[in-house]
Amino acid sequence: MSNLTTAPPAGAPSVRRRGGGRTPASRRRITGAGGNRHLFFILPAALFLLVFAVYPVVQLVRMSLSDVRVDNLGADWQFVGLENVIRNFGDGAFGGVIINTVVFVAIVTVLGLVGGLAAAILLAPTGKWPGLILALLVFVWALPPVVNGSVWKFLLGTQGLFNTLLTDLGLASTAVPFLFDDRLALVSVALVNSWVVIPFNALVYRAAIIGIPGELFEASRVDGASRWQEIRHVIIPSVRSTTMILTVLTVVYGFRSFDFIYVMTFGGPGTATTTLPFLGYVQAFVRFDFGLGASTALIAVLMVLVLAVIYARNVRQEEK
Amino acid sequence: MNSASRVQGRILVASAAAVALTLTGCTPSAQTPSGDGGGDGGGAQTLSVWHYFSDDNQVAILDEYKAMFEEANPDVTVENVFVPYDQLNPRLISSAASSTGPDVVVFNGADMSTLALGNALAPLDDYWADFADADQFPESVIHSLDDTVYAVQGYVNLLGLWYNADVLGEIGVEPPTTIDELDAALTAAVDAGQGGITLSGLPNSQGEWQAYPWLSSFGFTYDDPQREPLVEAFSMIQRWTESGALTREASTWDQTVPFQTFAAGGHAFAENGNWQMGTAESTADFSYGVVPLPIGAEGGVYLGGEGQAIGAFSEQPDLAWDYLEATYYSEEGGVIAAELVGSIPARSDAAGSEAVTGNDLMAPFADSIASNGTNYPAGVIPPESVADVQLAVGQAWSSVISGQLTPDAAADQVLAALEGLL
Repeated sequence: MSNLTTAPPAGAPSVRRRGGGRTPASRRRITGAGGNRHLFFILPAALFLLVFAVYPVVQLVRMSLSDVRVDNLGADWQFVGLENVIRNFGDGAFGGVIINTVVFVAIVTVLGLVGGLAAAILLAPTGKWPGLILALLVFVWALPPVVNGSVWKFLLGTQGLFNTLLTDLGLASTAVPFLFDDRLALVSVALVNSWVVIPFNALVYRAAIIGIPGELFEASRVDGASRWQEIRHVIIPSVRSTTMILTVLTVVYGFRSFDFIYVMTFGGPGTATTTLPFLGYVQAFVRFDFGLGASTALIAVLMVLVLAVIYARNVRQEEK
Repeated sequence: MNSASRVQGRILVASAAAVALTLTGCTPSAQTPSGDGGGDGGGAQTLSVWHYFSDDNQVAILDEYKAMFEEANPDVTVENVFVPYDQLNPRLISSAASSTGPDVVVFNGADMSTLALGNALAPLDDYWADFADADQFPESVIHSLDDTVYAVQGYVNLLGLWYNADVLGEIGVEPPTTIDELDAALTAAVDAGQGGITLSGLPNSQGEWQAYPWLSSFGFTYDDPQREPLVEAFSMIQRWTESGALTREASTWDQTVPFQTFAAGGHAFAENGNWQMGTAESTADFSYGVVPLPIGAEGGVYLGGEGQAIGAFSEQPDLAWDYLEATYYSEEGGVIAAELVGSIPARSDAAGSEAVTGNDLMAPFADSIASNGTNYPAGVIPPESVADVQLAVGQAWSSVISGQLTPDAAADQVLAALEGLL
């Protein structure tokens, strides 16, 4: 080995080395070139991110600090500082929109996680039926939101399937105002969103559950654990890191949910189902106040960022 | 503004529009004129027409116009491009910011000022000045901003009160001519186990369009907005929802759903437009008719309908004008719209055709134009505030129907919003 790392004395005959006779220096150069090559491979993805993620966010910030209306969208944007944010918070209805958003995200997150875990536990065994149900779940998840939303709007109508069942079975004397009661409408749309997010969470949870060593289940059975105790003391602790990741993903999904509200209620009745993303859409693409809409979008982004930071700190503390 | 920042802006606008459209699942393909694209010279040409029609009968008009124009211009292919109603304006404005867009636009006439301010429409002054039949059109269908004509409506659409003659016969009432008679008829219908009235309460411009006749019937105007008329109108609507004459579900219905509900039977009335004649004929299996909305002398019915214009960035504006002249603005085109959908032609010669005068359902709409017709949007609303006013009133209307707001609170909300907009 030392021969390989010592330069031959001057005048000594050159010795052909294994590996093509490359010197350690040349190896280092190759290693260095390999590193650069890695960077080269990363470049397209980095460029893509810069153009389609970083640049729009920078422009979003710029737009949120400017007065951008329909008549100057393609021209000069006048800088107005925090005026758009102040206008938003000065609007009496904005507080209600924030509350709507938090309630919506909370319902989607809790039901999405609990439902996803429950479905994963039920579908964890391999076999024909779990596979079939899993395929159905993927189908539900993959359906375009516009289709899903339209179907659910029909199902939840006064003449829809749910109200027909409820009234025919005597569970309700009159049709339940799923989509037009000012309180129930938000819950109904959030439930539909949860129903859509459950399949994705179930798939991820199922992979985590399948990865739990079988010995853990055997040991718990030897100790006489019931099915519920097995879930509580084996499965839930084992999928904790998965839960953390899914929590963040589901919260982000809830925060950016727009399509179901658009299709099912258009933010109504009144503004009962207006959340931050929908408000941003209305401000930017109905009222054509692009600066105001951008500031709303930015507030939503910042709320998600705060949650992401809290999550990252929790993960770091756990790793310590 | 330097060119670099303009390019940046356009890229952003295009990205934002793409994201917004993707979010809503609506991504109409960009229509770029093919062929020589350089005007009316030889070679195959494609003329793109953006519209928001989804009703079969309304789509049929476009198909007829396409066939007409292609037959007269064998080298031209007319491409009708559907863009959902809520997406048409954003799509046009974002396209204009990146110097692209369709050749012809068929849009809600009330949005002309928004689109013109957004540089999405081409001025029509020169074409209109040279148009031999221009004197056939009344001033009310010519849309201008700062003395420049940007769009003209080939026909007028407005609201009326559709009634189910079978239901009215069952409850023994005549089609109402006043709000009191309407109230009594609704009570009788509900007592007989029938539905009362269907209308749209969607919290956007459609809601405002349907609300205005009732608001104005109690004396509300945008020229001098007062609280009392609003409270009275909103109270009437909540009386209807409390009695069951109007379902609170209407608070999230667009204008299509309430008419389909009416056409399915079991409802006494529908507040809806002349454009539903085709749907009524193909769907309703009961006797029906139309009377003017019973809103008294003070009430106003918007004279709406689609405006037609040339896209600001059309590469073949002359061809686009030829299309408009031969279809929407021609006598034959007006008759086609009347026959297929029941739209009332703006041209006086087409309005006097047998298709119009021989249609019993059109007469009440024509009466409404004469007695209650009102410019849409109200002239007092500044062009840059039109969208905000429509949204504010539409949201309050929806809230009242759903019971989210009391009539007093809704009136206060509307007045507070209008204060900064008018």
